Amino acid sequence: MVPNYYEFFVPVKIVSGSKALPNLPYEMDQLGAHRAMVVTDQGVVAAGLLGPVKAAFEGSNCAIAAIFDQTPVDSSSTVCNQVAKLFREKNCDCFIALGGGSAIDTAKGANIVVSENTDDLLKFQGHERLKARMKPFIVIPTTAGTGSEATSVAVIANVEAGVKMSFSSPRLYPNVAILDPKMLVTMPKKITAATGMDALTHAVEAYINLQKNPVSDAFALSAIALVRDNLVKSVENPNDEHTRLAMANAALLGGIAFSNSLVGIVHSIAHAAGGVAHVPHGVANAILLPWGMEYNLGMRQDIIAELAPWLGAKAEGASADRAKAAIQAVRDLCKKLNQLAGLPLTLKEAGLKEDKFEEIAKQAINDGTMNYSPKDATVEDIIAILKKAY
Amino acid sequence: MGEVIIATPKSLTYKLKEFVITSSLLAFGTTFELVSKYSPELKKELADWEEGRTFGLGVWNGGPVMTIQKKDGRAVYLGLKLVNPKLTIFFRNVDAALLIFTGRLGSHMSFIEHRAFLQGNLGEAMQTARAMNIVQKFLMPGFILNKTFKVPPKFTLADYLVKARVMLMLVPAMIPNLFK
Repeated sequence: MVPNYYEFFVPVKIVSGSKALPNLPYEMDQLGAHRAMVVTDQGVVAAGLLGPVKAAFEGSNCAIAAIFDQTPVDSSSTVCNQVAKLFREKNCDCFIALGGGSAIDTAKGANIVVSENTDDLLKFQGHERLKARMKPFIVIPTTAGTGSEATSVAVIANVEAGVKMSFSSPRLYPNVAILDPKMLVTMPKKITAATGMDALTHAVEAYINLQKNPVSDAFALSAIALVRDNLVKSVENPNDEHTRLAMANAALLGGIAFSNSLVGIVHSIAHAAGGVAHVPHGVANAILLPWGMEYNLGMRQDIIAELAPWLGAKAEGASADRAKAAIQAVRDLCKKLNQLAGLPLTLKEAGLKEDKFEEIAKQAINDGTMNYSPKDATVEDIIAILKKAY
Repeated sequence: MGEVIIATPKSLTYKLKEFVITSSLLAFGTTFELVSKYSPELKKELADWEEGRTFGLGVWNGGPVMTIQKKDGRAVYLGLKLVNPKLTIFFRNVDAALLIFTGRLGSHMSFIEHRAFLQGNLGEAMQTARAMNIVQKFLMPGFILNKTFKVPPKFTLADYLVKARVMLMLVPAMIPNLFK
C-alpha cells in the first residue's frame, strides 16, 4: 500500500559489529570534532562500560574533554541545561551519548541548548523548530530498545511544570550510531526483555498506524524478524554477542521505522502510565502491545494479518485468523519472557493501582502519538484497555 | 548566464488561494466562537484549557493566519493575525492549507502527511485538535465529515439544533470579526 503522500528521512551513519567501538575517534575526526563530551548515567558507569570508551581514545588525536554521568532515569530540561553549561565550560566540540534512551535524549536536549545558543530549552518544543546546525553527535547504545540512536525525536521532562516535552526535528538525528555487542552483554535479563519488547512495539506500531509507508515498512519488518529470532536467545544467553548485536540492530531499525511513521495507542498509554505511575516504558509496552493490536483490529485487520509470519505465527487461513494469530504470537513471546526473565504480564504485576486508570487515560488522549493510531480513543476506551491489561 | 529570479511574484491563482484560506480562517474562527457558546461538547473540552490560552492557525512564512483565545470559558476570535499564540499550527504552504479548508483532507491527516507542523506543547496541540474537530462537526457538511474524520462524528438532536443555530448566525457574526 502506497500512501497518498509520505516523507522519509534518516541521515545516521551506522557502525555495527564486533570491535565497532574503537572506531569512535575516527568517526569524531570525520565529523571535524576532537574534544568530546560524554553523556551517560551511573548504571552505565557501574556496569564498567565507560572504560572501553576511554580505551578507544588511546593513541588518537581526539579526547574526552568532559564526562557527565548523572543522567537521571527520565531526562529533564534542568539536566540538559547543566550538560550544556559543562559542554561550554570545557570547550567541547561534540556530544557522545553512552547509555539508553535517557542519556541519548539528554544529549539531544543539551545539543539544542548549545547549538541554538539559548538558555531556555522550552522555546524549542514542538516539531521542526530547530534552525541551527547541531554539534556533531555520536551515540553508543547500551540497551537494545529505545531506538533513539536513529530517531529525530527527544522526550524531555519539564520538572517545574510536571510535563514531558516533545522535540522533533530532522536536525536531532545523531550523526553516527555505534552498535558494539560488548556494550550490551552486561544488560540484565529483565531489562533485555523489556527493552526488546520496546523495540518490537516500535516496529509493530510503525507498521500498523496511519503514517506507515513502504520505506518505513521495510525497516519495521526487518526489526520484527530480528526480535522474533533473537530476543528470547539474548535473554537465555546474555553473553552471546551475535544475538546481542542482532537485538541492537532490531532496536535501531525499529527506531528508524517509528521516527518516520510514528507510534500509536500503545505508546500513548505507556507514556501516560510512565508519567503517572512510573511503570517502566518497555514493560508497559510489552503488556499493552497485544491489547493495542486488538483495539485496532477493526480498522487494520489485513495489515495486522500481514505481520503473522514475521512474528512467527501461521501465515495461513483467512485474514481474521492470521491477524489473531499475530496477536497470539506477541502474547506467547511475552509469556516466554515472563518465564525466563520475570517480565510482568499484567499491569497489576507491574505494580499499577486501579485508582490511577482515569488519570492515565486523561493523559493518554493528549499524547501526540494518539493522532497516528488508526482508531481514535476516548478516556472510556482507554480505561477499558487498561482494565483488560490489568 | 540566464536571468536570475530573485523572487516569484504571486500569481492570480495564488492570490485566489490565499483569499479562500483567509475567508476560511475567518469563518472557522467565527464558528469556533459560536460553537463554544452553544455546544456542551466544546465547552467540556475547553474546560481543560487555562483561561487566556491562545492558539494560532495559518500558513507558514507570511501566509494567512488567525488567533483564537479562551476568555471567560469561551473561545474568542482575535483576528487575522498572530497575537502571542502559546501554540501555533502552521500549514507548510497554501496548497496544504487548501486541502484542509476545502474538505479534501482531515486535520489529523495534515500531520500524518507532514503538511502541517506545530510550535508549542504537543499535549495542548492534541486538546486543540479535538476542539477543532468539534468545531468542524458543526461547520462542515456530513459528506465531508464522513470523508475526513477517522470515525464520523455522531449527532444528537441537540447537536442538530446547535448546528442549525450556528449556520443561521455565522454570516452575521462574521461581519464584526472582519474588523478585528
